[in-house]
Amino acid sequence: MSDIIELQHPQQVGHEMRAEIRRISERGRGRRQLRSRIMVALCSVALAITSVPLLLLLYQLFQRGLPVVLHPSFYTQLPQTPSLVAPNATGGVSNAILGSLVLSVYAAVMAIPVGVMVGVYLAESDSKLAAMLRIISQTMAGAPSILMGLFAFSFVVRALHVGYTALAGSFALAVLMLPVIVISSEIAVRGVPNTLREAGLALGAKPHKVSMRIVLPAAVTGIVTGIILAISRAIGETAPVLLVIGGGYINSWKPLDPVSALPLSIYENAKSQWPSLRTQVWGIALVLVVFVFVLSLSARIWASRKQQAR
Amino acid sequence: MTERATGDGTEVSDVIPLDLQPHDELVGEFNSPTSSRTWYHYLLIAASIVFAAVSVGFVATILWSSLPIWAHHSGTLLGGKGWQSPTGPFGGLAMIAGTLETSIIALAIAVVIGLGTSISIVFLIPRRFRNIVATLVELLAAVPSIVYGLWGFLVLAPWMLNTVNPWLNKWPFAKEIFGNPGQQFGTSLLLASIVLAVMILPTFVAISREVITVVPQDLIEASLSLGATRWQVIREVVLPTAKVGLFGATFLALARATGETVAVALVAGGVANAQFHLLYPGTSIAAWIATQFGEAQGNEIAALMALGVLLMVLNFGLSLISRWLVNRQRRILAVV
Amino acid sequence: MDQEFMAQVKMDAVEKSKAPDRGTAAMQLKNVAVSFHGRTAVRNCTFDISKNRVTSLIGPSGSGKTTLLRALNRLHDLTPGAKVTGQILLEGEDIYRGDITVTELRSRVGMVFQRPNPFPTMSIYDNAVSGLRFNGIKKKSILDEAAETSLRSAALWDSVQSRLKVAASNLSGGEQQRLCIARALAMDPEVLLMDEPTSALDPIATLRIEELMTTLKQRVTVVIVTHNMQQAARISDDCAFLLMGEDRAGELIEFDTTEKIFNNPIDPRTLDYTLGRFG
Repeated sequence: MSDIIELQHPQQVGHEMRAEIRRISERGRGRRQLRSRIMVALCSVALAITSVPLLLLLYQLFQRGLPVVLHPSFYTQLPQTPSLVAPNATGGVSNAILGSLVLSVYAAVMAIPVGVMVGVYLAESDSKLAAMLRIISQTMAGAPSILMGLFAFSFVVRALHVGYTALAGSFALAVLMLPVIVISSEIAVRGVPNTLREAGLALGAKPHKVSMRIVLPAAVTGIVTGIILAISRAIGETAPVLLVIGGGYINSWKPLDPVSALPLSIYENAKSQWPSLRTQVWGIALVLVVFVFVLSLSARIWASRKQQAR
Repeated sequence: MTERATGDGTEVSDVIPLDLQPHDELVGEFNSPTSSRTWYHYLLIAASIVFAAVSVGFVATILWSSLPIWAHHSGTLLGGKGWQSPTGPFGGLAMIAGTLETSIIALAIAVVIGLGTSISIVFLIPRRFRNIVATLVELLAAVPSIVYGLWGFLVLAPWMLNTVNPWLNKWPFAKEIFGNPGQQFGTSLLLASIVLAVMILPTFVAISREVITVVPQDLIEASLSLGATRWQVIREVVLPTAKVGLFGATFLALARATGETVAVALVAGGVANAQFHLLYPGTSIAAWIATQFGEAQGNEIAALMALGVLLMVLNFGLSLISRWLVNRQRRILAVV
Repeated sequence: MDQEFMAQVKMDAVEKSKAPDRGTAAMQLKNVAVSFHGRTAVRNCTFDISKNRVTSLIGPSGSGKTTLLRALNRLHDLTPGAKVTGQILLEGEDIYRGDITVTELRSRVGMVFQRPNPFPTMSIYDNAVSGLRFNGIKKKSILDEAAETSLRSAALWDSVQSRLKVAASNLSGGEQQRLCIARALAMDPEVLLMDEPTSALDPIATLRIEELMTTLKQRVTVVIVTHNMQQAARISDDCAFLLMGEDRAGELIEFDTTEKIFNNPIDPRTLDYTLGRFG
């Protein structure tokens, strides 16, 4: 044993130094406590500063939006332009609600199959292509949404001669959703324990069967959660659709019609000269926020319940 | 990130995951499920090629559409002051300056306050409220930016005009920093910075909270056992350990602030006027594209595309830096 | 349990019976209980921790050893819903009294954790003097000397003196744990709490830490939680045996010199445990 380690006699610093250490530490103790209390208090102040505008925003949104959304005509009528004769004739936003739903559905249809497959590929491959795609998806996920609008404009509206349509808008949103779905699918698939894969392989299943029959079902909760969050993000985006959907004043679900969208109506009404439209805009914002919260919360609750069920 | 790669990845977040946890190494044989040449393999590869093509097309299309400007007027776009629709010249200085001014001021506000907030959430709030507050913050990160813009435009702008601007101008040097537009403008670069700060706060808090949370508990206990005060634990142990990840969160927030479009379009005032007085209206690259695009024709569209290229370069640069930092943080945590 | 081990225990015990009486108490526990949100985790703990001796806390998992240990430097203060009742005296003073500064207490009662946990952002040197820095000591001469003495005491000085500025994460697991011990020793504590300090280490590193502990007691009182009965028998002078009661709360079954606990315990459950019949 003694050849492993040369134990020295335990040492202590000298008496004088011990006394000095005690003295210095004692002298500054009160100051350090005070400093700690102040800094901790400042952190609490920061929390308060964060909360105030955010809670105020939510409060004003509900306070001003609720009276608007309680009228059934808000959901059923098309928008009207107020006039001097009827300054309060705002109509409803049925076209924007329908438009937002249509846009997200088309976008989801385009983005989900590709996104999930790429996610699975990234999670289970080490190839150069995978490494490259990983960087691309991370970068695209943070790209400013206005750029998706520029892309859809140049490519769909102009190059493909599709014009200002729901299709162009949903293409822009699909490009926005893709990297989010890719990343969350990759994380979900990677999260599947290797033991499950090994068990499948040990039973003699082919790797691609293991991937489809064992890994994907195990990861489905995470994948769906990612998809819902991608949709909730896309539905609130203004910039990409602003450039390409045409802002149609009709109720339409057809891909080649111009449509409107909730965020677009908010943007336009907010800038309006008419006070009645600027009142209505809070209702539109409330509907949009409720949409987003419901999607986001249901994804959360579903995911956590699934997790508990395991 | 707010989504850990643990379990089955079902922890949910509205913030794009940063993926702080070290990745599981896959089983050797399984590294190549796709190497067996089945239809499944080709399907996955095909999807990946579609995705790559879309991404490349994304960059290439915008670049291509902006080529006329880069070929003949690149100097004007990068340094020119005026923007004359529809014929030009198209000077981008005001937008570039506005983007940098607003997002840097917003970032400064958001980082200082957001860091304090994250620390409070992780260390000061009783555990049973912690998840509620954290969920609330993440929900707020999911609120569409147009709603923040709306609030800034209809609530904050009048308040700035009537209350804040006159108060600010009472201070010495206010004229030099803020300018004194009198009762003229409610929308301004300052308001845009404030709204941006409020907007990126939830994002920054959500990410930095996560980065701080993964600092191992036993490091905190070790420092407490050495007689450290609460603040010393935070200052000397938690923040240094989380430092790199916090920088990652900062750059991500900056990337988000620079790319923000409609909120800034509503509250910045929408004037292409290169100046540094914060109480005067201005604009940013993204906001300018959004406000001008509807009326633009021919060369102006190309000029707006060129602004888009600038924004893309700025944004990609920032997110590359942020990802590099997060990777470094992951390695640091792997060592702990 | 094999005969060889029992023989070893007996030999150790004979040696220890020659040791002087337990001497004065560094810490005294009087009817200590810890509960979380009203649920008792450990209770009925009354015993003295004697100066310059190694006291081990043994018992099966869930018997509250670690919980009890963490009560000794008030680490439960952090845990919401945690409550410590009874009295814990350090040099005759109740450490849970209102006017005790908890940072001062913790600099007098140091702690070493299960997993080696040097501060990852600090160098070896900075780790060693981190406690002193937390306590406001900035003078380089003091820090230098304290770093050297504590690293020497932890038997680490020779291997690290040439690379003091290197990040602590470059050390091996055993070295990291010795750095953690050095870090605690630099504060010159009266009591050193060790929570299964070798459970994450390989056998050779474990051996080194054990040797270190037996020499350390000359300058500091050591309390160690361990899962490993051989370890408790090898290194400790006194031994507290805890066991989970029927309501799943741990309690003190027996406290005595290690020799008595392992050879001649009063409670049959102690004998069963030390013989390896359960746990």
